[in-house]
Amino acid sequence: MEPDAQLVLLCLRGDGPSWEELVRRHTRRVYNLCYRFTGNAASAEDLSQEVFLRIFRTLGSYQSVHGAFPTWLTSVTRNLLVDHYRRSRRDRVTDSMEDTMPQLEEKHSPMRAPDKLAEAAELSEQLQRGLARLSPELREAVILRDLQGLDYGEIRGVLQVPEGTVKSRINRGRIELARVLDEMGVRPA
Amino acid sequence: MDWNCTRTEERLSDFLEGALPAAEAAAFSAHAVGCAECSKLVAQVRGLMLRMEQTPQLEVPAPLERRILDATLGRRPPTAETKGWFGWLQIIWQPRFAMGIVTVAASFVIVFHAAAGENGRSALNPMNLLRGANRQVHLTYARGAKMVNNLRVVYEIESRLSAQPESLSEPVAPPTRPSTDGQPGQQPPANDPHEKSQTIPHLRHRTTPELAEMDLQPDFANGSFDPAPRSTL
Repeated sequence: MEPDAQLVLLCLRGDGPSWEELVRRHTRRVYNLCYRFTGNAASAEDLSQEVFLRIFRTLGSYQSVHGAFPTWLTSVTRNLLVDHYRRSRRDRVTDSMEDTMPQLEEKHSPMRAPDKLAEAAELSEQLQRGLARLSPELREAVILRDLQGLDYGEIRGVLQVPEGTVKSRINRGRIELARVLDEMGVRPA
Repeated sequence: MDWNCTRTEERLSDFLEGALPAAEAAAFSAHAVGCAECSKLVAQVRGLMLRMEQTPQLEVPAPLERRILDATLGRRPPTAETKGWFGWLQIIWQPRFAMGIVTVAASFVIVFHAAAGENGRSALNPMNLLRGANRQVHLTYARGAKMVNNLRVVYEIESRLSAQPESLSEPVAPPTRPSTDGQPGQQPPANDPHEKSQTIPHLRHRTTPELAEMDLQPDFANGSFDPAPRSTL
């Protein structure tokens, strides 16, 4: 049995430390997904908390035979992100995320040279601005594949769409993002 | 194999991920080499995928995990990790540190109060310190001298009392005051104690203010004894 599945079982028996371990192992994944999708640190924190609250309440519905825990976690996160996007668009608050893009708060390994740090920070910021100009469908597909490292099967499980659709969205998302970055004057690596 | 720009776009990710069959990959490459637009697009997307692969994961803000755990498990006492900047304040609440801090604060208050003084006179002024010390030395010397004198008086009286026990065993009448009513013919009686006291004449004729001035205890200055004045000892 996978470590995550064992932790889930312990959590269901009321073991608090196991829940802490589960949160510790996956907070980064959830936060990154939320931040890359929303482009806002405060929203990403709130959404991350909301994700874990929902996971905590529905942990009993998770069954390891239906997929890995990270995939289920990503699926719950994605659904909340979609809800958040719809609410935001309805309220006309974050339709133009590019205008309210915050400074990235990345921290890097102290072993990296300062110029590398600056370059990585600039790269991340450019990428975030480009992602903000994609449609939500293409954005989430690219984030899950290229920034979260999920394979097509996992993404299919998260998005609940056929694998052909997943591939198509990822491909279109990459092409569109590349063109957007080119328009922004970002040269290819 | 017939290949065009639309098809290049559709199969671009498969080509870059190495998922195209060999024949399609060859046709893709052949078209891309000859098409400036497609060649540029392939370079852009390849560069983008490389950039995203190199993009580091964002660090989670420090309080987020605690927020999540508090929201799910309820608020619990902070751990060493979450004490943060205010963790050191807990040390102050320990009794020994609190007492130490209070003592130091009280010392500062006393010193500053003394340094400021009253009416502009500082107790820490060297001149005032010298005057105070001088006064204290003189007071101590005067008290010591006074105590020695008193002891000498007591010892002298005791020695005289022991030297003439018979003269002091009889009751002693109050001293006879000089006549103030203008009767010169009046003589003192034969057994007037005044005659017995001729052996120690200086014990007579002492008035209460004089005794008080000699700083004697009340028992010794009760009219019966009149020790010699301080200047005669």
